[in-house]
Amino acid sequence: MTVLRDYAATVTQPALGDGLDNTGRYDEVVAPDGSLRPAWKGLAEVAVGLTEADLRRVQGEIGRFLSDDGVTYAQPGRGHGRWRLDPVPLVIDAAAWAPVEVGLAQRAELLNAILVDLYGEQRLLRERILPAAVVLGHSGYTRVVARAEAIDPRPLVLAATDLGRDADGAWRVLADKAQAPSGIGYAMENRRVISRVMPELYREAGLHRMEPYFWALRSALLQSAQGDLADPRVVVLSPGTHSETAYDQAFIASALGFPLVEGSDLVVRDGWVYLRVPGRLERVDVILRRVDAAWSDPLELRGDSQLGVAGLVEAVRRGRVRVVNGLGAGVLENPGLLPYLPAACEALLGEPLRLHSVPTWWCGEPDGLEHVLDRLGELVVSEIDGRPEDLVDLSPDEIRARVLAAPYRFVGQEPLPLSQSPAWSRGGARPVPVTLRTFTLRYGSAYRPLVGGMASGWLDATTPTSKDVWVLKANVGDADQGLSGVLPMTTARSVPMTVPRVLEDMFWFGRYSERVEDLLRLVLAAHALSEDFGTRPRSTGGASLTVLMGAVHRMAGPSPDAADDLDADFRSLLLDRSRLGGVAFGLDGLRDVLRGVRDQLSPDTWRAFGTTDRAVEALEGSTHSHQVAESAGRMLTGILSLQGVNASMIRDAGWHAIGLGRSLERALQVLHLLSATTTERRGIDVDREVLNSVLVSTESAVTHRRRYRGYVRPAGVLDLLLMDTDNPRSIAFCLAEGREHLAALPGSTGSSRPERLLADLLDQLAAVDVAGLVAIGGVERPNLVRFLDGFLITLERVADAVAEVHFASGPPPRLLGSLGMALVSEAGS
Amino acid sequence: MRYRVSHATTYTYDDDVTDSLGVAHLVPRVLASQRVSSTAVEVTPTPVDQSHDIDCYGNTATYFQVTSAHQELVVAGSSEVEVSMPAYDEAGLATPWEGARPLLDPTLPDAWLATDFALPSAAAQQTAEAHAYAAESLLPGRPVGEAVTDLMHRIHADFAYDATATTVTSTVEVTFRKRAGVCQDFAHLTIACLRSHGLAVRYVSGYLATQPPPGRERIVGADASHAWVAVWLPETGQWLAVDPTNDQWVNDRYVTVAWGRDYRDVPPVKGVIFTEATKSTLKVSVDVAPV
Repeated sequence: MTVLRDYAATVTQPALGDGLDNTGRYDEVVAPDGSLRPAWKGLAEVAVGLTEADLRRVQGEIGRFLSDDGVTYAQPGRGHGRWRLDPVPLVIDAAAWAPVEVGLAQRAELLNAILVDLYGEQRLLRERILPAAVVLGHSGYTRVVARAEAIDPRPLVLAATDLGRDADGAWRVLADKAQAPSGIGYAMENRRVISRVMPELYREAGLHRMEPYFWALRSALLQSAQGDLADPRVVVLSPGTHSETAYDQAFIASALGFPLVEGSDLVVRDGWVYLRVPGRLERVDVILRRVDAAWSDPLELRGDSQLGVAGLVEAVRRGRVRVVNGLGAGVLENPGLLPYLPAACEALLGEPLRLHSVPTWWCGEPDGLEHVLDRLGELVVSEIDGRPEDLVDLSPDEIRARVLAAPYRFVGQEPLPLSQSPAWSRGGARPVPVTLRTFTLRYGSAYRPLVGGMASGWLDATTPTSKDVWVLKANVGDADQGLSGVLPMTTARSVPMTVPRVLEDMFWFGRYSERVEDLLRLVLAAHALSEDFGTRPRSTGGASLTVLMGAVHRMAGPSPDAADDLDADFRSLLLDRSRLGGVAFGLDGLRDVLRGVRDQLSPDTWRAFGTTDRAVEALEGSTHSHQVAESAGRMLTGILSLQGVNASMIRDAGWHAIGLGRSLERALQVLHLLSATTTERRGIDVDREVLNSVLVSTESAVTHRRRYRGYVRPAGVLDLLLMDTDNPRSIAFCLAEGREHLAALPGSTGSSRPERLLADLLDQLAAVDVAGLVAIGGVERPNLVRFLDGFLITLERVADAVAEVHFASGPPPRLLGSLGMALVSEAGS
Repeated sequence: MRYRVSHATTYTYDDDVTDSLGVAHLVPRVLASQRVSSTAVEVTPTPVDQSHDIDCYGNTATYFQVTSAHQELVVAGSSEVEVSMPAYDEAGLATPWEGARPLLDPTLPDAWLATDFALPSAAAQQTAEAHAYAAESLLPGRPVGEAVTDLMHRIHADFAYDATATTVTSTVEVTFRKRAGVCQDFAHLTIACLRSHGLAVRYVSGYLATQPPPGRERIVGADASHAWVAVWLPETGQWLAVDPTNDQWVNDRYVTVAWGRDYRDVPPVKGVIFTEATKSTLKVSVDVAPV
């Protein structure tokens, strides 16, 4: 049996007691008589042939693609988790889509007109077409942008609308998203993955491709700039890497070629908004806002916000920057408006509303209140600016009490049956309820819905899996998205951004990746010894192993296992994300800084983590000791692939910051390694074994053999790792390279503090006499100890000075009066 | 009465401030009972940017930005105003208070405009205590003017004026607990009491001209900014302004600057600064001089 046949059988003849309640639900794939819906008929040949094994393979591939692309979704309090994508798309044919498309375009036009009215003339309130309390009592109503005449004639540029089907199959609106709609990046990623894992089905389908819509979105944002600018600057304002939809934001930024910025990267001067590039300010004309309005300006909105830009509201009011969507748009995310939209549509557009909402009653009106209280058990009650989940744990009596205390704050909504579609879970395809998120863009003078969207299949009430949405073309020759005139984007990569925050992230990209690489090499060298000598601590190899583990512990802290279990130590280094300085910890740090500059990087960057994640999984799934080396090796492969990504980057300040971070970190690591291994004498055999491992873990063994014919002595090793200007692992080489990168950073003058410190170090190094360094005093090499310790301290100082000079973005904004305040005279009587 | 009003706020810091952005409400409103002949807002050091704007409540808001490094910031407003006694329609005052609730009677003329002042706001929490306290004044069918005046008398009698009892961020709950506060607390308290019964009430900020004790000279700069409330009277579009701090209806010695839902909509000066400074002092000097 194939999956779709199985599914059709399940849906049309529900087995007794299978726990599925399919009654009254419209099925997206199968008609009540068991035949396929028209949208699926064209796909039947390929789709019906899919077996469970096919889908299992596809599901696995989806997981790998999503992991390689680094697609995440964060849930509050739970950190970034993997994005879920179901293999079976939601398919809608052209005839069924047409009325939805017209309805969505009309709705966006209506919502825009409502915003213009509510923040300007307020005819809707004066004529009581909308009740004043449903608007003014909603937390999204933003008074600081309400003026006698509307400031912004097009506050709504990109709207999202969630749809679900009624029992008869008609689409109804569940909710509108206008504050800062998310999901279009995920929709694009879903399409990219599905088209790769099911190419036959995708080719067969004749569906609308999404790219032209992105070009249109880009052009719409450029055209949002006030006035007639030849080359407007657009930025994507993100609340930061810990945002739920950070991936979506970064995807949009990099797909559109606009820099991803955070509030601290922007500054208001003279009523204009600027990007804080070192040495100069670059004017920003359009801000695609993913920060909620309330957090956008600590001066006039929430004063405790560190995500916004002080003065932004004033810049908006003066028309000097366009914020997309407008700062007041959040008031539309309000189910209390739904009952009044038909009247508002007649009043503002002079036409009947096409897309109907889920039946909704606002409790601020006596009739609505009575209706909702009568049907408390049946209706879904929520606050006009809250989520239904907020009240889900309350008993009907508790809900009644809350509603009665402030009726205008509540609505009751008919639960929609929703349609069902097959979703792959627990090894089979089973019917789950689906909802559809649609997107509508103001393009030119009209609103254009994305022909497609992002569907969610609800595995249970709180666990969605996303689904690609395929809207089929009426004719094969139809233009994708109905957009034939849009010009493809010429640049795909973002304009390089050199604000201090980005440079700092890039610097740490270099440092973390180098640190992880060096530690992995050391772990591999130590593990190789442990395989041979782990059980023979008194052998030469065993003693060397102890020395090498000392070096490991110097970098990654002591073994958490008191019993000195080597295998546990290695595993903790590779897996324990809370072991400061360990590999897993470093990988987390690396991932975190990369998320902050995602728009600046090639998508290939994330493949590195796909590789390391799989290495982690393999190690977690195996207790064999050799798996440690196997996984560490694969992790090293992943980390090394970042250098490939790095090699093809534009040589801008960001690239130099990476290079500088890498050079300094490598020098630091070599110094630490030498301190842990070469400063003490342990007998000629042990020393030789240790030095060999040092050479292996610094990739210098081959060079050394060539130069010194295999005769391993401290002086030779130190010469190679300290002084040799041709060895990319030597301190001399790293510092010289670091000096070049540093000189290329904006703000470097040739005599800046970090440059001076670095020059001193190079001078100091040039004066070193290796023969003197290795001189012996007791069991130690006192000159070497002194040299390495001093050098380390100065080098750390260089790194600090780099941060001070190049990454400082000035003091954070604070509220006037928030400092320790002494009141000299009284302010009020 | 004619007055020359000056109101200067001075912030001093223990280190340089490199960037100050602020919004001030220092320009008096034009009203039927208040003519404004001249106004000025002066910021020192000289701002790179300063502009005036009329906000959604009709107040004048002054935006400014100072980008030269400074350890002292002065925001000074000055104006000349002529105030007369406010007049109210008897019909409005005589309406039973139950008929002045915009959320319950949205069809009343201008109820939509009063709605914003009937909804809760952050600084005037409608506690159960406030509701119960107000109920003693809001007797069934009582004319709104009389009920509000009674509440004003009771607050004046029951709460002590004490500048040490509360701070600028104190809540209604604290004012009740301490039975004391300053004008801002009494205004928020009155707002919470009346809104919890559905009335629409504005927070009004301005000045009260003080009279020197008999035989003494008026001391320049010893006045203070003041706050009171105004209650919506249906049908007339008027707002009855009462001062619970001084137990009287607002008269021709009150200069009205701005109104909003509570203090947070209309502080005289608010701002954001960029600095490494850790300490600052605030000095306020207000003078309302009869001319």
